[in-house]
Amino acid sequence: MSNKTLLLTRTLIRNGEGFGIKGMKNKVSKVLFALMLMIILPGLVVMFSFFVNSAYSALTAIGQEGVVISWGIAIASTVIFLFGIFYIAASFYFSRDVEVLLYLPLKPRQIVGAKFLTAALFEYLITAAVFLPVVIIYGIRSAAGILFYIYSCVVFVFIPVVPLCLAAVLVMVLMRFTNASKQKDTFSIIAGTLALILGLGINLTVQKFIINMNPQELEALIMKGENTLALLTSGIFPTARWAVSALLDTVTTAGFLNLMLYAAVSAAVYILLLFLGEMVYLKGVVGLSETVSKRNKQNKTEARDKFLKKHSALRTYTMLELKLLFRTPIYFLNCVIVNFIWPVLLLIYMVMGTEGADIQGTVKQLMNNPDIAGTIFLFGIALFTFVAGFNGTVSTSISREGQELFIKKYIPVSYRTQILAKVLSGFILSIAGAVFTLIAATAVFKLPLYISMLILAAGWMGMLFISFVDILLDLYNPKLDWDSEQKAVKQNLNVVYSMIISSIVGGLTIYAALQFSPGFIAAVLSSILVYGVLNVLVYLLLRKKGVERFGRLEG
Amino acid sequence: MIELIGVSKTYGGTVKAVDNIDLTIPDGEIFGFLGPNGAGKTTTIKMITGILNADSGTIKVNGIDIKTGPIEAKRQIGFVPDSPNMFLRLKGIEYLRFMADVYDVSPKDRAQVIDDLVKNFGMEDVLNDRIQSYSHGMRQKIVLIGSLLHDPSVWILDEPMTGLDPRSSFFLKEMMRKRADSGKTVFFSTHVLDVAEKICDKVAIINKGRILFCGTLDEMRNSSKKDETLEKLFLELTENE
Ligand SMILES: Nc1ncnc2c1ncn2[C@@H]1O[C@H](COP(=O)(O)OP(=O)(O)OP(=O)(O)O)[C@@H](O)[C@H]1O
Ligand SMILES: [Mg+2]
Repeated sequence: MSNKTLLLTRTLIRNGEGFGIKGMKNKVSKVLFALMLMIILPGLVVMFSFFVNSAYSALTAIGQEGVVISWGIAIASTVIFLFGIFYIAASFYFSRDVEVLLYLPLKPRQIVGAKFLTAALFEYLITAAVFLPVVIIYGIRSAAGILFYIYSCVVFVFIPVVPLCLAAVLVMVLMRFTNASKQKDTFSIIAGTLALILGLGINLTVQKFIINMNPQELEALIMKGENTLALLTSGIFPTARWAVSALLDTVTTAGFLNLMLYAAVSAAVYILLLFLGEMVYLKGVVGLSETVSKRNKQNKTEARDKFLKKHSALRTYTMLELKLLFRTPIYFLNCVIVNFIWPVLLLIYMVMGTEGADIQGTVKQLMNNPDIAGTIFLFGIALFTFVAGFNGTVSTSISREGQELFIKKYIPVSYRTQILAKVLSGFILSIAGAVFTLIAATAVFKLPLYISMLILAAGWMGMLFISFVDILLDLYNPKLDWDSEQKAVKQNLNVVYSMIISSIVGGLTIYAALQFSPGFIAAVLSSILVYGVLNVLVYLLLRKKGVERFGRLEG
Repeated sequence: MIELIGVSKTYGGTVKAVDNIDLTIPDGEIFGFLGPNGAGKTTTIKMITGILNADSGTIKVNGIDIKTGPIEAKRQIGFVPDSPNMFLRLKGIEYLRFMADVYDVSPKDRAQVIDDLVKNFGMEDVLNDRIQSYSHGMRQKIVLIGSLLHDPSVWILDEPMTGLDPRSSFFLKEMMRKRADSGKTVFFSTHVLDVAEKICDKVAIINKGRILFCGTLDEMRNSSKKDETLEKLFLELTENE
């Protein structure tokens, strides 16, 4: 590894690549970020640890507790690989610093190496969250010796290497040979959607697997060698096998050799990546900002006619927001597509085996009971708030302006109108997602039509409320200082806050539904009343404080 | 007409970018705003256009205070920012449509713009392409066109000459002249002293946030002894700080 690679790595990290904490100017967001790191992440880790612990017990019963370790490595590898694809594409190709790096006297492999190391650093967070609980639980429960922990440290260091290299190779080859860079937006949209579907598929498979897990079945699976997850790892990441063998056998030389093999092969893969980078990276990256232009006559008159028509500022502004959301791959995936995951999830559950059918049956039974209609209605309302809260459209709508925010300050459109247009664009997407979800839910659970219609008729108020809250969040804590769009949405805490808030609001609605199990009419009226009042209040706040805040933002 | 009275701006509590300046930019003249890098030109322009809030002082555009009547004041202005890299994912025509809607331009005036401005800047063939595919100069031209859609009475340009080819640069200068002659305000910042010398009726020189000189070029020459070039005067003025 050359000095230049390390130097560049340090510069990239200092430049805020990776964590995006650097971008946070005010103290409040730093504190909130720290709080989140201290509460949410440990929460997930604790939940995962409980799972690992009970899995360990179940597996000990059949003498296969070592599977826990291969799961740990499998999950970490898969997550790293999936995150890696996005991260690598954004950082290798779509980041603004790439153009600067290109004319510095650096070899392609130095750029690739440095960017890779920066990415790896970020992935160690994921690795730690997944792999450490496994190591600790396995270590304690199997009363492992010191050697086990030492081996684990070595394995820990190398876990991200192969998956991340694979992600990098995939991205680099795609960018180079499909001529993807010329159509980069289209390419990233397709690749991203595929990755998302893949991720979803794996997720569902894992979930199905975990839900169905009982010792007998598990035993049967393992006997048949049909361990989905283990298969997956050894299929995609063959090197993981050596790591598992090393950790399960720390006493013999075979174990040590496996460990060495794992480390050596990982390092070799990294070096191979550098060679590949030297060969294909530049060709993929040069001319990246080229777009194909098609100059034809007919479009011309059409466009001219459109141009001559006059529209209101609110409408044109909203359309602009939507256009940018659809045309920017990262925004498209994080803000548009996520809205339509919900109905897909529901439908998948319907087609997929037993547990889907069970829910369906239960709900149908419930529906026959007229007392429950109010509760169902409130569940629907809660679902709407989730849909609104889990897409990052409104909660990043100021952040997405980035360095171009100044434009919005000199055009003669009041900040109130601009805020409304931003809320509106997100709201339109949420509503579209909600309608599809509702259609899917109606089909899956055989909801009576009048309930669906009423959910729609009242649920939009919940969505609007979340959207208002989201824009307030982003107005008070925008992330404007970014150099790749990735950072504006993916590394934006406002998205997380919005999820938390909508979960609380939706959760409270569900709680109320279960606690009071109100009659249908009562449920409809009270939710309209509550959300109506909330909306008016937060809108007044927005009109006063939000507009003021927008006026004070200075890019 | 633009009036600045006692305007100051400090960035992040430490960098005093603009220091208590008074400046009046009259109608009917081309007004050049000169100064070395980091002098405070862009900062001043950003305050006039409403992008930045002044820490103190008053700014009026055609008599409208930008603080109390921001929308009305902004309507008076056509603005060309120093970097034309914006809205790269839009097509040229979509950008123009956005600006036309935002500035409330009537369909009739839009047709005029397409047939006149767009042709003169040689942009009619690329209007349907994404701005991303434009060269630097083409991006500048689309922004220039966008700034004139509503036929603003105050035209403010931050470094408009860099990157334009000779024909476009000539056309731009002609536009500035025509607008000034018809009684409108034209205010632009530049480093290119030759250009300033040729087309400005008046100039202001700013350095380290303070106005060092404001007046016609002749006044400037008279104030010093000999008949010097603007470049020499500029260097002298900004050196003695
Ligand atoms: N966003 C900012 N944050 C902090 N300081 C800034 C910012 N923008 C400008 N400055 C500082 O304000 C001062 C004036 O900058 P300004 O951009 O107005 O100069 P300028 O005259 O336009 O220069 P140039 O000719 O290079 O465009 C400089 O010292 C600059 O460092
Ligand atoms: Mg400047």
